[in-house]
Formats: sequence, C-alpha cells, structure tokens
Amino acid sequence: MASGVLTEKALSRPKIGIRIPDTLARIGKYVLYRSVALFVTVVIGVYLTVLIVNMGGYLDTIRIAQIREQVGAGVLGDPTLQTLPPSELRKHIDELVVLEVQRLRLDQPFFVRSVDYLVDALTLNLGRAEIMTSNSGSKQVRLILLERIPATLLLSASANLSLFFGAIFVALFLSRRYGSWLDRIVIAMAPSSTVPAWFYGIFLILIFASLLHILPFGGMVAAPPPESTFDYTLSLLKHMILPVSAIILHGIFVSIYQWRTFFLIYSSEDYVDMAKAKGLTARTIERRYILRPTLPPIVTSFAFTLIYLWQGAIILETVFAWPGVGRLLYQAISIFDVPVIVGNVVLIAYLLVTTVFLLDIIYALLDPRVKVGGERRA
Amino acid sequence: MKKVTFVFVLLIIALLIACAPTPTPVPPTKAPEPTKAPVAPTSAPQPTAAPKPTEAPKPTTAPAPKGAWVDEVVFFEEPDSNKAVSMIEAGDMHLFGFGISDGKIYAKLKDSKNAAYDFSYGSTSELTFNPAGPTFKDGRLNPFSVPAIREAMNMLVDRNYIAKEIYLGMAMPMYTVINPVFPDYAKTADVGRAIEIKYAYDVKKAKEVIDAEMKKLGAELVSNVWNYKGAPVNIILIIRTEDERRLIGDYVAKQLEDIGFKADRQYKTAAEATPLWMTGDPAEGKMHVYTGGWISTVVSRDLANNFTYYYTARGRSDALWQGYKVSPEFDKISERLTRRDYKDVAERTQMFAEAMNLSMKDSARVWLVNRQSLNVHRPEVKAAVDLAGGTSGSWLWPNTINIGGKPGGTVRFGAPSILSTVWNPIGGSNWIYDSMIFRATGGLATVSDPYTGLYWPYRMDKADVTVKQGLPVGKSLDWVTLNFAPTIEVPKDVWIDWNPEKQQFITVGEKYTQTLTANTKTVMTYNKDLFKNKTHDGNTLSAADFVLGMILTFDRPNDKSAIFDEAPVPAFKSFLTNFRGWKIVSKDPLVIEAYSDTFYPDAEEIVRNRDVYPYYAQGIGLWHTMSLGVQAEAAKELVFTSAKATKLKVEQTNYIGGPSLKVLEKYLASSTDKSYIPYAPTMGQFVTAAEAKARYENLGKFYKDRGHFWVGDGPFYLHQVRSTEKIITLRKFADFPDPADRWLRFAEPQIPAVAVSGPSRVTVGQVADFSVKVTFKNQPYATKDLDFVKFLIIDATGNLALTANAKATKDGEWAASLTADQTNKLAAGSNRIEVIVVSKLVAKPTFESMSFVTIK
Repeated sequence: MASGVLTEKALSRPKIGIRIPDTLARIGKYVLYRSVALFVTVVIGVYLTVLIVNMGGYLDTIRIAQIREQVGAGVLGDPTLQTLPPSELRKHIDELVVLEVQRLRLDQPFFVRSVDYLVDALTLNLGRAEIMTSNSGSKQVRLILLERIPATLLLSASANLSLFFGAIFVALFLSRRYGSWLDRIVIAMAPSSTVPAWFYGIFLILIFASLLHILPFGGMVAAPPPESTFDYTLSLLKHMILPVSAIILHGIFVSIYQWRTFFLIYSSEDYVDMAKAKGLTARTIERRYILRPTLPPIVTSFAFTLIYLWQGAIILETVFAWPGVGRLLYQAISIFDVPVIVGNVVLIAYLLVTTVFLLDIIYALLDPRVKVGGERRA
Repeated sequence: MKKVTFVFVLLIIALLIACAPTPTPVPPTKAPEPTKAPVAPTSAPQPTAAPKPTEAPKPTTAPAPKGAWVDEVVFFEEPDSNKAVSMIEAGDMHLFGFGISDGKIYAKLKDSKNAAYDFSYGSTSELTFNPAGPTFKDGRLNPFSVPAIREAMNMLVDRNYIAKEIYLGMAMPMYTVINPVFPDYAKTADVGRAIEIKYAYDVKKAKEVIDAEMKKLGAELVSNVWNYKGAPVNIILIIRTEDERRLIGDYVAKQLEDIGFKADRQYKTAAEATPLWMTGDPAEGKMHVYTGGWISTVVSRDLANNFTYYYTARGRSDALWQGYKVSPEFDKISERLTRRDYKDVAERTQMFAEAMNLSMKDSARVWLVNRQSLNVHRPEVKAAVDLAGGTSGSWLWPNTINIGGKPGGTVRFGAPSILSTVWNPIGGSNWIYDSMIFRATGGLATVSDPYTGLYWPYRMDKADVTVKQGLPVGKSLDWVTLNFAPTIEVPKDVWIDWNPEKQQFITVGEKYTQTLTANTKTVMTYNKDLFKNKTHDGNTLSAADFVLGMILTFDRPNDKSAIFDEAPVPAFKSFLTNFRGWKIVSKDPLVIEAYSDTFYPDAEEIVRNRDVYPYYAQGIGLWHTMSLGVQAEAAKELVFTSAKATKLKVEQTNYIGGPSLKVLEKYLASSTDKSYIPYAPTMGQFVTAAEAKARYENLGKFYKDRGHFWVGDGPFYLHQVRSTEKIITLRKFADFPDPADRWLRFAEPQIPAVAVSGPSRVTVGQVADFSVKVTFKNQPYATKDLDFVKFLIIDATGNLALTANAKATKDGEWAASLTADQTNKLAAGSNRIEVIVVSKLVAKPTFESMSFVTIK
C-alpha cells in the first residue's frame, strides 16, 4: 500500500503558516525520490517479465525447435517440393529455418535481446510483434493493444464500475441494517465469489443462450453487424449483458461484505456516537462522519479498479469470444509472442506506478492527517 | 457520489460511442457498374459408423440459380467447440469450420435433431521412438534402439482400446504409415489387412520378443523389473497434454510397466516437447517415446514419400531423424519410391507392399489410430467437406453451400479464429480459417475433388499432357489427354528466365545454345469465355492477370529486382531445378504451354502444378490490385511477406484493412492518373493504357463502396470486414458465370454401404458363393463408379488365406466366389470373409465382413 511510505502526523491538525520554500523543497525531494524508486521498480518488474516470458533464454530453444517443426511440416505438405532429391529438400528446409531464425533475431544472444526488450519497453517503444498482428493487420504492438483496449474497457468498465459503486451503495445500506435478513443473506453469499467470473459466464450462457435463447452466446455484436449506429449500440449492449452479469455476480457479494464491514467499523467510532448524540441526521452522519474518513481507502480501491479495467479478463473474454486485451494476452502467451506480452505488462506497470504516485498526492488532499514528503516531528 | 455516478455514466456512453462503427453508406449488393473498357487480350478399419444421414437438399423444380446458392455467408469467431455445437442446435450458427474430435460431443450429436455432421479423417496419432543406442551418452539403456523391440510394441498396444475407449469411437485403428482413408491404402488394402492380422494386439507375444531382446542387450529381470547394470530401466515418455494423447501416453506407460519397465511420464505441451523429441540430440536420452500426431489437410493421392519422410535420415535434417538407421533394403525401396523410380502402377503397388512390411520391421514409429473429426452443421445446410481437411480444407464449399437445396438465405459460419493476420495473395494469412474464407472469393483453373483428391477442370476446358516415355504417369479423368514421347524438346521461344532490369523474359533460345529437354509438356486450354468473366470490381479477366503471376515468380526472388525478397528464394531455387519454361500459345482463348522435369503419378496433378491461374499462394490476385502492392513494396512502404516486413520494420501489405489501405489508395490514385502498367516492357504486350486506366477506375469505385482492395472472381465477394468484432461478410457475386448446381454432386460424399451375405456353412472342397451388395442411400452403386471390390478370407487360424477380386453382376451387386480348390485349402473351423469396396468417387475404402464355418 502506498500509505506505508507516507508520514502520518499523529493526532494533531496540520500546522498553519508553513514556509512555502520548505514545503516546495520537501515536495520536490519527495517527488524525486518517489519517482526514482518507482522507476527502479518498473525496470525490475519489466526485466523480470522479459526473463520469465523468455524462460531465462530457454524459449529460444523452443522457438527454434518450433520453427524447424513448422517448416518441415510445410515442406512435407508442398507437393511441388516432393520431387527434389532428399539432400536438396533438407537444404531447402535449413534455408527456410535460417531465414525465420534471423527474422526473429534468434541468432543473437538472448542477453542482448533482453536488454533491447527492456529499453524498448521503458521508452514505450513497444516495437513489433513477432507473430501476432492487430485486427487491422499491423504488427506494431502499440496498435495491437490500442485496438483491443476499447473493447476491454467497455466490458470491464461497465462491469467493474457498476460492481464498485453498486457494492458501496448496498454496503452502506446494509451497514445501517446490520443483522437484518438481507444482511445475513448477503453475508452468506459472500463465499460464492470464490467461483471465477468465467464459470458464472458458462452458466449464464447455458441458461440464457442455450436454454432460453433470449441472449447471445458471445461475441461483441450480432453477425452480421447492424449497419446503423443505433442498432449496433443496441446489439452491443445485448452482447454485454451476460459477460457483465458474470463479472458482477462473481464480485458483488464479497465486495458488499468487505465494504459493509469497513463501514461498520467506522460507524462504531466515538465521533460517530457523538454525532448521533448531537442529534445529527443519519444522512449527515453518513456523509460527514463515515464516508469522509473512509474516502482514502475507497479512492485507493477505485484507483486500482481503474487499473484493473485495462487488463481484461483472460478466460472470461475467451468464454464470451470478446475481442479484448485479456484474450489477446491469452493468445500471445500461447504462442510466445514476447513483445506483445511485454507491451501489455509495461502498459499496466506504468499505469500502476503512476496511480501509486498520484495516490500519494491525493491522500494528502483528502486526509488532513497525511503529509507528502515527511516532516520532522515536533 | 452523485457526481461520480454521473461521470461513470458519461464514461460508459463515451465508450459505447467509441466502439460503435462509423456510419458508412450501405453498399449495394450488386458489384459496381464497370467503366466500359476495351476487352484486353486398416485394421481393417473397423466399419465405422456411417455419417449420420442428414436430410439431403431436395432438388428444386426451378432451374438452379447462377452463382452461389446462398446470398450471404457471415463468418465469426467461436473458439469453443462445445459452445459452437450448442449454437448450431439453437440455430445461432449454421456451420462450424473446425473438425471436432471430442467423443463426448459425438455422443451428444448422435441424438441431436438440430445438428448433423460429416466425418473427415486427416489426423493420425502414433508413438515416436528414440532409435539412439543401445545406450545413451550417460550409459543408460535404450531398448528402442532395437528394431525388434519397436516392432513388438505394435503388439503391446491395443489400438481398438485406444479407438473405442480413449477416443470414444472417434478414431479407427491404424497400423501402417499409410492413412487408411487415402487412395494408396485402398490400392494395397489386402497388404494392409495382412499386416493388421500379423500385428494384432497380443501382449504375450510382444513380451516374449521384448524379453529375448532385453536379455541380448544385457538386461536382467529383477523382481519383475528390468535392470541394466544394476539400475532399473527407466523409460521416459514425453506425453502431449493438449488432447487424447495424454491418455494414450498413460496407457502406453502402463503397458510398459506391466512388462517390467519403469515409466517416467513427462507431460508436455507442443512447445515444451519439441526440443526434447525432435531437435534434441537423441543420444542424450531425454526421451524414449513421444506421443506424436500428424495432420493432413488434403486428400493426398501419392504417399510414396512417407516411408522416406517418417523412417529415414533423408526425411528431415532434425536431430531425431539423423538418428534413424534403416535396413539397406528398406532404405533402397523408400528412396526409389520417393524418386518414383518404378515403371508402372503395378510395380509401384508391389514396392509399396514391400515398403509397408519393411516399415513394420523398422517401426521407428508405431502408428495407432486415424482420428475422425466431426464437421458439424445444421441439418438443412450442406456443403462439400474435404475427406481429410474437413469443411475448412474444402475448396468446393463456396460452390456447394446451400440451405435446404433452395436458393437464397444467409449462412452463419463459425470458426475458432479468423483474421489472424494480414490478407495479401503472396505472403498473407495462411491460417486455415482465413484461407477457407478467401477461397470463396477466387476462381481456379482446376479444383481438388474433396473425396478423392483428383483435380477437376474449373476454368480450364482441357489439358494435353505429354510425358517422357518410361515415366509412371496415368490419368483418371477425360478432360486430360495423356501421351508419351521418347524425348520432349523445349522450343527456343519458351520463357525460361527473367531479366529484372529490362523487365523482360529470357527465352530458351537466348539462354541455351544446346537443345533443352523436359520430362513433361503440358498444354493448358483455358475456358473459351474466360475473358468474359467479370471480376468483383466490374472488370474482366485478361491474359495480363496470368502473366503478372509468372513475372512475380521470377522477379521477387531476384536480388536485382526492386521488390527483391529473401523469403521466396529457397522455394524459387527448388522451382528452378525442374522448371523448363512457359509459352503463351494463344492470348484469347488462353492457351499456355508449360515444360517441366517434375512429374506426378496423376496427369491431372501435373496440370494442376503447371497452371498459372492468378490464384497465388494466399488468394486471388488480379494484375491491377497486385500492381498497387508491387509499387508500395518497391517504395519500401509496404511489403508482401512477414519476414521482409520485420527486417525493414514496415507494415506488411494488407488488402482488407489497417494502415496499408491508405498507402494502396495513394498508389491507386497515381496509377489511375498515369494509366500505370507494371513491368510495362512485358505486361504492355497484354494490356493497353486505356485498359489499365479502366481497371483502376473500376477498382476505385469498388474501394469507395467496400473499403478494401480484395478483388477476385469467385462466387462470393468480400462485402465487409469488421476487424475488431472479428466478423467477415461475404455476399453472392451476381456476375459469377456458373450455375449453382455445377458442383452439387460434391455436397455429400458417396461413401458406399456394403452388405455381405452367403452360406454360413461351407463344405471344404466345394464351391461357395457370397454376394456383396453395394449401395448409397439404398440405391445400387453404379459399377462404373467403383474402382474395385476385393475380398479376403481369414482362416480359422487367424491367417490371411486368400485375396481375390469380386465380380460385378449388375449395378450394386457383386459376386465373391470361392472355388473348390480354394475352399479345399481352408481348415475346418470358423473363417471370415472380409470385403473391401473402393469407390472412384470417395477415396475412403469401405469394409464389411461375415463369418462362416468350414466343415469337412
């Protein structure tokens, strides 16, 4: 958690009349240290990804073997080559293998390539995919990712933002009705979130597509796609119902349970009891004395939800044939397309460190007890 | 919180709008009006369940429409086979392009009223052995270095168990390297059957052989475990995990454990396994046994190279192959078969039989099963399914696909993945599902019969093939004439090479001072009205479309060319070793002569390989669309092949979308302005500036309407590509000249149904007459459509006692008679007559048998 590196100023309110140059210097120093620390984290994270994805260089052996296998099979299936003498045929295969090995730079040491991967990644030059292409046919990783992101964001944002806000609203509601039958039902259902979203997806498909035939089995829109924007949007919404429902079903109960417990803890603070004693309305108490102090964790959770949106859901997108980043990553991992995998990781890594960095600032704005950059205790 | 909710709602709306398509004008169904242009110059494979009868398309009383049967075919992705079947049953999908091998789905489909299926048979499973040894580098024993132990493994595995229990009936036992549904198996079915009897499952016999050989190797059985130099003999099995081969690996491991080996099961994916079994040094002993699998996507009519490929070091240069040591006898015969060194079909058959037996003695591979795949579709939808490649491998699906035998309708076609990469005719997508789609957009000169692999004329009227005397070439169909000549001289004016600087062909006379000869001469006469055929952009085909393909064959691999590419160089070198020239005899009607040293057993296949119809490796390419790509490549803005794109760090040419379109559009504009003719010194003889301008103008209109440059002359045109949603829509091409029913006979494989009847008791020394009924859909199978009906007698000892031909008595009825002499040789007891029926219409032989008792 980002808060671990923040300096808390015990119980006292912030001092008034801080010297501006000191504050700026302190913030500047903090920003610098924090940036360097986060950058080093990104470098380590990305290089580890490069190493893991390449199996520490063993992937080269696998790739060369795969190339030999594929080239050999291709030559076997080409009747025009079958009349060549075996020595010529083998020479032909070897030449094709060399071309492909050179194309993928497998003739260069892995270490050199691993540094190239790292430098390209850090400079956001995501480079070219080795095997995959974007939907429109480009090999640029940037385009490959950019094409898939809207679909993932649409699905993920609809589901996860609904889930996030829905869970908070219901949790607040339940925290006021602690012990009610509804509260008990929701708590009892919380373990159901251990079932992955794609599993709910399969059930939903079975019920609503296969059995009742009222919703589509998958895909993003009907095939053929409607021509008008309005019909297209309707079709898109219809195709979103099941995957969004699957994500919400997967997460809703445990999210409500977590927030509800969280709110209950804050509801039992002394200052809340004091507010009640003062005769403030329930709404005012909720807004000023419960929600406000809980804002930093809510914002943190929200920020990480926003990052999560970009990743896509690997299996769920595959189950629903949804053309998003998750499915792309699944395909890239299956065929060892390293630049695509690294590109995806870099994207998330940068989003993550930026979010963590911004959260530090936002915390200071939201919570008067938190101060960026640390301060010597009086 | 309300504000946040508001922002969230706004975000969703924004995303919805972002994902929605930009409204585009609805293109007309009909192709754009053209600008008027001047006309340019087994064990016995167990009788498998016949495909579930599906309701055949009822013939319509009205004449068949012109062009395709259906109005529209929409392709979309569905990676999950189970879900695809559910979608078909629910009516959300009409066909699924993937061959399903899941036995559970098969069981489900048998009872389904809303889904039907056709079988295809292109996949095989086997055990690959490591032949290194007898010991590895580290001193461990490798029992499989001994051919006799490998041979005995044939009897240690129960192929029927694998077919029925592991594949749940979705496979048939397979003993030899010859796929039991391909024509070569049918020709040698009796030999194959004898092998199947000899190597039938017999653990006791296998153990005896293995025990004896292990002792010879110096191993000893200690507490029922084989030990070598004091350590147990540990067999490493590399077991593939992606399919039923995982269960096969476990089964084989258990069989080995039962006879005293320790089994080390190593479960690996394809990527993990390949360096261990194929490219790793066999002497290092990282594997003893690998659960292999092979796929054939077309019906191959000549499997003679299989022996070399699968058993000898000449097959491949990979490390495992280099470990193969075969007997001199097998080495010689496999090499001769590969070189087609036989004088006639009879000698070839005899050599084949010998090689089959020798391959069993060697058994570097133990073949297990031929897997069946289900090509699932709605009962009312029919399309030609390739016997090996299934729906996705069929070349005739676009011409045969129909709904209930009536014109019209939209077919929704699912496939595991589409739009896998760019589409361009030279180096674009070679993924089978993309190929399946763009195949519908192009015409062909000849087309492969989905059930026999023979080539039929499509845009060719006839072909005259002359072959050098003594070469074993035959022909099956009437559209080809076959002649033999003592020598075939190549005329001096034949094009033999290319000058990329002058952009002209070099003739034989210019290149050679001596007389050049060839093994084959093929004269191809294309359709009389070929150049009246419209293309999707409203142009008409011309000889220039053919000539550009010839030029590119030479220009791309030439390092002096502006579009030089290393990728085609190896294939081009191979091509040159046998190429002896082209000559355009007549521009319209188009007649082309081709000379080559390459020959095939079927004259039809020779024609197919000489044909220069502008259907490139990855799709149709007309000269004016190819011209845009060639110009872009010369300017290094786009390139056709992936390898060159990576090297130059530029985009690969894509005719259907992406950044390529803007570049191609730029070249279209400049080409239209300049009436550009690529390779003008040569192409200028076949196209005029006015014709070029008209072509580009029509292409411009097409691009404006469709938003892509993929233009062909097939029964469907590419109407719409939705790359993000992975949806492709093809629509019926109104100007396609052929009637829809031209290929309808291929919509369903005419696999014969066979019934054998006869006496249940036969007296030794007396004549016995058996009757064989051959039908299709309860109608007699025409005698002219059957290649042969053979019968085998398996005697009471389980040995093959007799092989003979049955005689036709009338259509659908054959007599299998045993003479008194023949029955006299049978011992008393239970015998079996097995009938093999081979049709000319379907390569897959049909087997049927009945038992009878011989009495004295």
